[in-house]
Amino acid sequence: MARTVDLPSPDEQKSNAGPLFQWFKIYIHGMKTAFASRMAYRGDFFMSMFIMMVVELFGPLVTLLIYHNGASFPGWERHEVLLLQGVFLLSRGIAFPFFMGMVWNTISRVQEGTYDLLLIKPRSILQMSIITAFDSEDLGKLIGGILLFIYALKSVPSLPLVNWASFLLLFIFSLITMFAFGLFMSGLGIVWIGNYRIYDIFMSVMDFGLYPRSIFNKLFQTIITWVIPISLLGSFPASALLGKQITGVLGAMLCSIFFLLVGLWFFHRMVRNYTSAGG
Amino acid sequence: MIKVDKLSKTYTTYERGGTFRDALKSLVIRKKKMVEALKEVSFEIGEGELIGFLGPNGAGKSTTLKILTGILYPTSGEVEIMGYVPWKDRRKYVANIGAVFGQKSQLLFDIPPMDSFLLNQSIYNIPEQAFRKTMNEMVDMLDLENIVRKPTRQLSLGERMKCEFIMAMLHRPKVVFLDEPTIGLDVIAKGKIRDFIHEQNKKGTTFILTTHDLEDVEHLAKRVIVVNHGEIVFDNSMDHLRKYLGDKKSVHVTTRNPLPSLDQPGILIRKQLSNHDAELELDLSKLKLNEFIKELNEKSIINDMSIESLEIENIIKDLYGQEKPNDTPLILGKP
Repeated sequence: MARTVDLPSPDEQKSNAGPLFQWFKIYIHGMKTAFASRMAYRGDFFMSMFIMMVVELFGPLVTLLIYHNGASFPGWERHEVLLLQGVFLLSRGIAFPFFMGMVWNTISRVQEGTYDLLLIKPRSILQMSIITAFDSEDLGKLIGGILLFIYALKSVPSLPLVNWASFLLLFIFSLITMFAFGLFMSGLGIVWIGNYRIYDIFMSVMDFGLYPRSIFNKLFQTIITWVIPISLLGSFPASALLGKQITGVLGAMLCSIFFLLVGLWFFHRMVRNYTSAGG
Repeated sequence: MIKVDKLSKTYTTYERGGTFRDALKSLVIRKKKMVEALKEVSFEIGEGELIGFLGPNGAGKSTTLKILTGILYPTSGEVEIMGYVPWKDRRKYVANIGAVFGQKSQLLFDIPPMDSFLLNQSIYNIPEQAFRKTMNEMVDMLDLENIVRKPTRQLSLGERMKCEFIMAMLHRPKVVFLDEPTIGLDVIAKGKIRDFIHEQNKKGTTFILTTHDLEDVEHLAKRVIVVNHGEIVFDNSMDHLRKYLGDKKSVHVTTRNPLPSLDQPGILIRKQLSNHDAELELDLSKLKLNEFIKELNEKSIINDMSIESLEIENIIKDLYGQEKPNDTPLILGKP
């Protein structure tokens, strides 16, 4: 029987906008929806954001204590370490609210069996995992990162433009590394059902990025540059901004790209192994 | 429209005992177990059909549904729906289907359903005019004018389920999968949802309904597929299903004098309520109805009597109860 309502079918519902524009349009909508959901409990929303910000600033507080007591990280002034930690928090502050939520989202949805609901949407499963996971309270991390970055920058003499350009490039790579981490953890969450410890392990490993690379021994420096490029999360971008000499940056960038590609492959491979929950 | 050919799905699970000792042991050694959820299932569904897809718990119906919706990959077999292979062309394919899961909500709990609808509009890229038209039509049909702007957590189960239907159908899908859509609903809400499904089916939407509520099936489905132990044990029309156990009637009789001995071919006493009152099952291939009534009236004088077709529940129980599909083919000819 013919339809009585004359509506375009999904196949006909093509937009003039490009796929990237479409991607952002849906992302912004998902973000607005997540804000609306979170703001249903206003008190909790503001409190959580404030707590997030304060917790993130514990690391820099330890740095202040170290320098206050006459100790230091070799080759790094106090304001330089604070700048590094500001960069690190900025990177986390962008990654966690905007895309790292996919990890928690994936782990919990797979456990509950509601990952199915993402798979029945006509978008890539990665996109769906991200747009349904915007975490507004993690914006506290971003605010903390911005505040610390500005505070540390005040003690730094004016920086040449080339330093800023190098910093921006390496900062993008820090986000790429974060995203790759997210892909691996989400992929593991699909097959390793209910294992929230993946997240804790990741957070612990990532904390090495809070300190200058030079304070670690050679072997560990190699690991955090070539194996798991944690140096890109704070140490390398901050060094580039301060005009410090850095070695192995190109290797870390290549490693980051490799990490991303393997992460994408791994995530999609794990989606194939998704078993859903019982009916 | 839907072609399923020799579809199989095998899961690997791990056996673990119920005791604490077993739990500890399972940390080190786990015994693998292969479960054949589907065994070469084949069927076809035409455009505009409304199919009841039934089976006991663990029979394989949810697995079938999940493969048909592109959620799971099968172990072997072929599926083609509207020209798509669900798990290969998932993104293009799911733009043409909808799904309502009675036990999994697509709505966002803390905000009104309207906001969830708008998010779906973005995801499905539905033009504004078409979106408003479809939504208003469905809101009107389901009496949800004052509901869609209330936070979802404040809605009753019935209101929420109606909103789930709108969420699943805003993009005008050609095929809709329903998994227990009326679970936990009251009679009025069930009726409203059944009317809605019926109405959409009349407009050409194909529905595949999985449920344990046989009233839903009786009200809606013209054809029924029953799966058990991962295999299809019945695939035919509702009329055929009613006659599956033969030409039988369910009889409730009350007599003035005590009932005579009913121990004879063609009569099964289901419940003897008293010496004057009994519920029987008559096999009309062995006993003629008029002769039974005549004989009973002569011996005990009938005070009251109701004669009905055999309840569908009994037939389904019989199909579910089979250990394994026997050698005799249970699948009757296509309707």
